[in-house]
Amino acid sequence: MFPAPTAASPAVGGGAPPGVVARAGDVPAGLEALREVTVDIRPGEFLSVLGPSGCGKTTLLRIVGGLAEPTSGTVRIGGRTAAEAQRHKLIGCVFQEPALLPWRSVLDNVRLPLAVNRAVLRPDATPPEELLDLVRLTEFAGYYPGQLSRGMQQRVALARALALDPALLLMDEPFASLDEITREQMRFELLRIWDAARKTVLFVTHSIVDAVLLSDRVAVLSARPGRLRALVPVELQRPRFAGIEHAPEFTAAYRRVHDLVMAEAA
Amino acid sequence: MRSAWPRPSAQPAATLLPTVLSLLVVGVVWEAWIALAGTPVYLVPAPSAVAARMSVEPGYFLGQGLITLAEALGGFLLGTGVALAAATAMAHSLALERALLPLAVLVKVTPIVAVAPLFVIWFGFGVLPKVLIAALITFFPALVNGVTGLRAVNPGALDFLRSVAATRREVFFTLRVPSALPYLFAAFRVSIPLSVIGAVVGEWFSADRGLGAVIIVAHANLDTPTLFGAIFTLAVMGIGLSLAVSALERRILFWHESTLIV
Repeated sequence: MFPAPTAASPAVGGGAPPGVVARAGDVPAGLEALREVTVDIRPGEFLSVLGPSGCGKTTLLRIVGGLAEPTSGTVRIGGRTAAEAQRHKLIGCVFQEPALLPWRSVLDNVRLPLAVNRAVLRPDATPPEELLDLVRLTEFAGYYPGQLSRGMQQRVALARALALDPALLLMDEPFASLDEITREQMRFELLRIWDAARKTVLFVTHSIVDAVLLSDRVAVLSARPGRLRALVPVELQRPRFAGIEHAPEFTAAYRRVHDLVMAEAA
Repeated sequence: MRSAWPRPSAQPAATLLPTVLSLLVVGVVWEAWIALAGTPVYLVPAPSAVAARMSVEPGYFLGQGLITLAEALGGFLLGTGVALAAATAMAHSLALERALLPLAVLVKVTPIVAVAPLFVIWFGFGVLPKVLIAALITFFPALVNGVTGLRAVNPGALDFLRSVAATRREVFFTLRVPSALPYLFAAFRVSIPLSVIGAVVGEWFSADRGLGAVIIVAHANLDTPTLFGAIFTLAVMGIGLSLAVSALERRILFWHESTLIV
């Protein structure tokens, strides 16, 4: 979760030159987290970044979100830099931990993005009440985060990330802290919400099932320093429903991605 | 676990019973011991003698107590206010923390009774030196816990606020201050009784009013019933203040784990 020394050149909605690394000053000085990662994410696309532990996936996401500075390389989000996109509230983030404010009710947590930086308001954004409806938590609007299960908290975090109607949704292993059963439910929940909201999603995960089930394309990174090793299209029909993971097409896509990732992890 | 938080309910009479009983036993044993041993009143008064003394002039103890209470609370507010301002600055700047913390530690390790006479010389015999001594003694807990609390934010929540371009000021008020509250209440639980000690110590050195002055005068006259009456009033005041802080804490920190235990 902490900014690591980095370098990358992810590009969202626009090409960019490959970037190279090494940044001094941050924690382990000069550690190279990423190298030559160039991805062009199409509007409305669901793209997963998959790679072995410590390959710089989270760093990549933080750079795209403007939460960390790359040593070199560029990010373009609809023609804007990450910092500009952040200022214009074009980015919604969901992290591994729900990270809700425990002293605010569920509804007030979803309203949080509307309460800050009011210079940039988005009047066209979906009202928080409707977002709670979307994540099926309307009856819990007055509850506090501590009263909800982990999975419910993560759904609140998702609604909060959608509050500003962001062009780009960044998700950093959002299911990692959930149990297996909740995790499986959340995958289809996310698919349903994504079908309804149609955001461009950059989804970081170390779960091959997550990546294959959810994505249009899977970016496979190598071990540190993370390099883009493959961009695997997942040709599964949409909308995808529960049970698809038993279909032969899923198994085929899973094996392809699995073999690529395992080759990198070895 | 439905709509509202499971608030700890007001203490039912049954939970108070052991406390009342133990106090009663102490009182009875004390009373019996004085009666049987024939201890002279100038050494230790019986509880009944203290009660008799207080019931003769309840307004006296109440009035003197209110003076001490006002000094203590004034000192608490002043000391805590200055501490929170300093904590805000220190939480944002490591250089400021390094510059100010040694000074704060110096203030903390200096015994308050050593400073009290100096304050009398500097600030005279009025209310001011008592308030300042109470402020001095409450300063450090609020400062240290304030700095820790303002920094103890959930990194994910901080990242989220940054991702929606919240200003430093917004981060401070929407995230840092509420995150610091559990730490501050922990400090207040310590510093509220300390503020009463500060006020009493201040009164010992230079006052004609307040419970500290009552104790000094009663001591000089070997008037132990009055002395014990003042101590009893101080004890009640300390308990009352602590309960008030706890009640406020349960109200404000209803979302925090600490209030769910009890």
